[in-house]
Amino acid sequence: MLQEAQSAVGGISGADLIQVAKFLAAGLCMGIGSLGPGLGIGNAVAHALDGIARQPESRPALFSTMIIGCAFVETTAIYALLISIVLLFVV
Amino acid sequence: MGVEWGKIIDFNWTLVITLLQFAVLFGVLRWILWKPALKYLDKRRELIASRMTAAKVSEEQATELVARREGELVEAKRETAQILEEVRERAEKSLEEAKVRAREEADRILADARAQMEHERDRVLADLKAQYAEMVVLGTERVLSREVRIEDHRRLFDQLLEEIDENALDGVKESR
Amino acid sequence: MREELGKLIEHLGQKEIATWHIGGFAIQVDPKTIVMSGIAALIVVILALFLRRGLRQPVEDKPNRTQAALDFVMEQLDSQLLGNFSSKSFGARMFPFISTLFLFILASNWLSLLPGLEAPTADPNVTLGLALMVLVTVHVFLIGTKGLRGYKKEFFTPWWLSPITIMSEVIARPLSHGFRLFGFVFAEMVLVTIVMAKLEPFVVPIFLRVFFGIGFGLIQAFVFSILAVAYINLATEQH
Repeated sequence: MLQEAQSAVGGISGADLIQVAKFLAAGLCMGIGSLGPGLGIGNAVAHALDGIARQPESRPALFSTMIIGCAFVETTAIYALLISIVLLFVV
Repeated sequence: MGVEWGKIIDFNWTLVITLLQFAVLFGVLRWILWKPALKYLDKRRELIASRMTAAKVSEEQATELVARREGELVEAKRETAQILEEVRERAEKSLEEAKVRAREEADRILADARAQMEHERDRVLADLKAQYAEMVVLGTERVLSREVRIEDHRRLFDQLLEEIDENALDGVKESR
Repeated sequence: MREELGKLIEHLGQKEIATWHIGGFAIQVDPKTIVMSGIAALIVVILALFLRRGLRQPVEDKPNRTQAALDFVMEQLDSQLLGNFSSKSFGARMFPFISTLFLFILASNWLSLLPGLEAPTADPNVTLGLALMVLVTVHVFLIGTKGLRGYKKEFFTPWWLSPITIMSEVIARPLSHGFRLFGFVFAEMVLVTIVMAKLEPFVVPIFLRVFFGIGFGLIQAFVFSILAVAYINLATEQH
C-alpha cells in the first residue's frame, strides 16, 4: 500500500507538476479575471437598458456607447484570456 | 523552406503580409465600391431634395387652388341663396299685388253695379213721373171734359205733381 | 473524421509556420493564415462587385433589389459605425476605411462557418496587425490635429507620468484591441474543436458553430470597428 503510493508519487515528475500548475493558473486566471468585467458589463448594460426604457428614441446612440463602454470594461478579461492562452498553449 | 508546428502566439512576417493584403483590399474596394457608391448616394440625395422642394411647391399650389375653389363654392352658395330669397320675395309681392288688384276689381265691379242700378232706378222713376203726368192729364181731361191748358194751370199741376211724386216715391221705396 | 479531430486536438493552440532561409535571415510566415485572409478579402471584393451592380441604373429610376441591398449596407454602416464620429464630414471621409475594416473582419470571422476553412482572425498576427494599423492611423490624425508640439505635449506634459501614458496609449491599447478579437475567435475555435472531438460531432457542434460564428463574429467585427472609430474620434477631437 505504502509502496504503491510512493511509486505513484515518484512517478510524478517536475514537468507534470508544471503542467498541473499551468492548467490551474489558467483556470484561476480566467475565472477571477472575468469576475470584475462581468459585474461591470452587467452594470453598464443594466443602466443602458434603463435609459432605453425611459427614452426609446435614444436607442442607437446608447447602444453604440454601451458597446464601446463594454469593450473598455472587458479589457481586463481580455488580458486574463491572453494570459490563459499563453499559459495553456505557449509556455 | 520547411513547414512545422509552432506556437499560436507567434509574431512573424504574416502580420506585414496580411496588412499588405488589407491595404490592397482597401484600395480595390475604394476604387470599385466606396467612391462610386458615395457619389451615387450624394447624387440621389440631391435628387430627392430637389424633388421634395418641387413636391412642396406643388402641394402649396394645390392647397391654394383648393382654398380658392372653396371660396368660389361658398360665394356661389351665397348667391344662390340670395337669388332664391329674391324670387320668393318677388312671388310674395306679386301674390299680394294680385290679391289687392282682385279686391279692387271686385270693388269696382260692385260699384259699377250699384251705379247702374241707381241709374236704372232714376230712369224708372223718371218714366213713372212721365206716366203719372200723362195719366193725371188724361184723368183731368176726363173729369173736366175738356182740354187742359198747361200754360194756365202750371202752378196747379206742379203742386199736384209734387204730391204724386212724393206718394209715388214712397210707394217705390216700400216696394224695394 | 475521428483521426482528423484527434490531430486537431493534438495540435490545439498550434499553427503551421513556414520558414524560408534567405541569406542569413529566416523569414517565417503562416501560409494558412495568409491563404485564409486572401479568401476573406476575395469574398469582400466579390460582395463589392455584386453591390456595385446596383449603381448601374440611373439615379432617377426606382431602386431594384441590388440597389436596395447596397442602400441597406451603406445605411447600416453609416448609422451604426460612422455615426459615432462627432463630426459628420469627417465621418464621411473615414467611411471607406472603417467600412473596409468592418467588412474584412466580418468576412474573416464568418469564414470559419464554411467547412474546411478557418478564420484568419484566429491568428494574432492578423488582429494585432490591424490594431497596429489603427494605432498608426490614430497617431497620424493626432499629429494632424494637434501639431507636432501638441502631440509631444500630449505624452510628456507631466514627464513623470509619461511612462504610464505611453504604456496605456501605445502598448496596451493596440494589445487589448487586437487580442480582444483574436481571443474571441480563437476561444470559439478551441471550444468548437473540443466539443466536436469529445462530444458526438453532430447537432450540438453545428449549433455552437452557427451561434458563435454568426452572432459573435458579427459582434466582434462591430466592436473592433467601433473601437477604431472611438480611438480615431478621440484623436481628432479638439479640446
